[in-house]
Amino acid sequence: MKRVLTVITVLAVILSFSMVYAQKPEETKQPAKPVETKPAEVTQQAKPAEAVTVKVDKNQLSGGGKITITGKAPAGKDVYIEVWSERTVRAARLDADPDPKTGKRPYIFYMTDEMPGFYKLIIPEKYKSVLEEAKKEGKKWSVSKVIKDAGADAVYGYPAKIKIDRYQTSLWASIIGSRGQKLDPMDEKENKKRSMQLLKARFRSVGAIFSSNLKIEEDGSFKATVEIPSNAAPGKYFVVAKVDKDIKSEPVVVENSISFPSVYLPNAGRTVNVIWPFLLTAAITTFGVLMGAGGGFILNPILVMLGLPHTVVAGTVMPTVLFSQATGIYNYSKIKFISWKLGVTLGLAMLVGGFIGPKLTELITLDQYKFLFGWVLIILSALMLWQTTPKYLEKNKKEQAILKEFKKRAEEAAKKKQQGGK
Amino acid sequence: MKIEFWGQEFKVNLAIGIPGAFLIAIMSSMFGFGGGPFMVPLMAVGLRLPIYVIVGSSLLAIFFNTLMGTFRHYGFGNFDLIFFLIMFPAAILGGYIGPKIAKRLDPITVKRVACAGLLILALQLLGVF
Repeated sequence: MKRVLTVITVLAVILSFSMVYAQKPEETKQPAKPVETKPAEVTQQAKPAEAVTVKVDKNQLSGGGKITITGKAPAGKDVYIEVWSERTVRAARLDADPDPKTGKRPYIFYMTDEMPGFYKLIIPEKYKSVLEEAKKEGKKWSVSKVIKDAGADAVYGYPAKIKIDRYQTSLWASIIGSRGQKLDPMDEKENKKRSMQLLKARFRSVGAIFSSNLKIEEDGSFKATVEIPSNAAPGKYFVVAKVDKDIKSEPVVVENSISFPSVYLPNAGRTVNVIWPFLLTAAITTFGVLMGAGGGFILNPILVMLGLPHTVVAGTVMPTVLFSQATGIYNYSKIKFISWKLGVTLGLAMLVGGFIGPKLTELITLDQYKFLFGWVLIILSALMLWQTTPKYLEKNKKEQAILKEFKKRAEEAAKKKQQGGK
Repeated sequence: MKIEFWGQEFKVNLAIGIPGAFLIAIMSSMFGFGGGPFMVPLMAVGLRLPIYVIVGSSLLAIFFNTLMGTFRHYGFGNFDLIFFLIMFPAAILGGYIGPKIAKRLDPITVKRVACAGLLILALQLLGVF
């Protein structure tokens, strides 16, 4: 009897232990499990009140247009809508603001190629004042402050996850023309913070990133409109309504199509009607030739003012003038009108300068570009005015006469040579 | 440095020429133009060269800048092919029309108009209006 009892108690103890241990792993697993599957559980747990649905009035756009977004969210909760384009563009920013603690300037260059060409975060109407305040701050407004004040920190999603590279630049890196030393990838939190700064660097104005026309009714249904501008990229646009990080709708896709003569400039990230830049370039280069210059210095500021990124403008106009310069050199060389020694000597100095300049375009902001270019143009117009003063003209007249004489002689000599050669 | 041009000899002060060309190249490649409008005054006033030496040689000098600037901008991914394909034929067209109407226009008037236009553009860039 005693034996039976001890066997039973031992068995009971083993059983209870085994039960405890069998349960324990499950228990330890459990806290991890809900984290993984929570979003699914929350939406599926037969709690329709927690789900968010979203609808758009049209799935097809042609050259931009207005989309009305409607949907339903749990009653009494703030809803935010994120809209972004599938096409991405480059955004870059040099962080040269002194550190508030140490006063040191970090000189870190942040760059991404994954910035959506179009991004909008629509916040509920009641946060309208947040946007108005940001607008009052002028150029110094901060994306992260708006997001925080509008309670959108948890829903700010898509750009937070883009891949951002960062480089430690230095004076030396600028001189040798590299982007600098590539630093380790950032953690999620830092990436999110920097993505907000890049968002501002790319879209600049409060109104380009945020809109507050989201009406929420008491029962949780909401309505908003978003305007896809006619110069926006073609392709898919995604619309997602979010209540917080986990409660969000499935993305709705809107397709934007464009047709010729509109074309999409992938690097500049916008759609243009071919006719306008063509006419503009033709008119300005004609005028440039009349002045005896290429015209790039007029074309560039106009293109920048039309809203194209300054890096792309500078990078694309340069090769355009390259060919007219080459033909000019060819024509002058035919009539022996070039001092190769002088041209090459000064040219080598310019070669070094031309190595550094494009790097600077990348590092400066649009506002700095405009400021510097503004002063360059003032100096240039002063130079031009000086070229129309009577004193200069008098001197110039003589020189022009000499130039003409030399040109005539040169052309005659070239002709003779050609005839002789034949 | 001494150069010979059409039987005449000129002295070129490289202490002005090289730093000047270097700075002009940095600035113009940064903004994306060749630098001709600055090189010509530099060579005329700074180096005291006559205009008939300048026209061809300055073009050769800025070609180096444009060539290097083009490669660099391309390397940094700032070049947009489609945009280029729109502007390039327009630039050729401009180069063709320009000389045709040049004879009918007074160059001084053209320069004064350009001067006023540049000033307006500059003030707009600076955000004055």
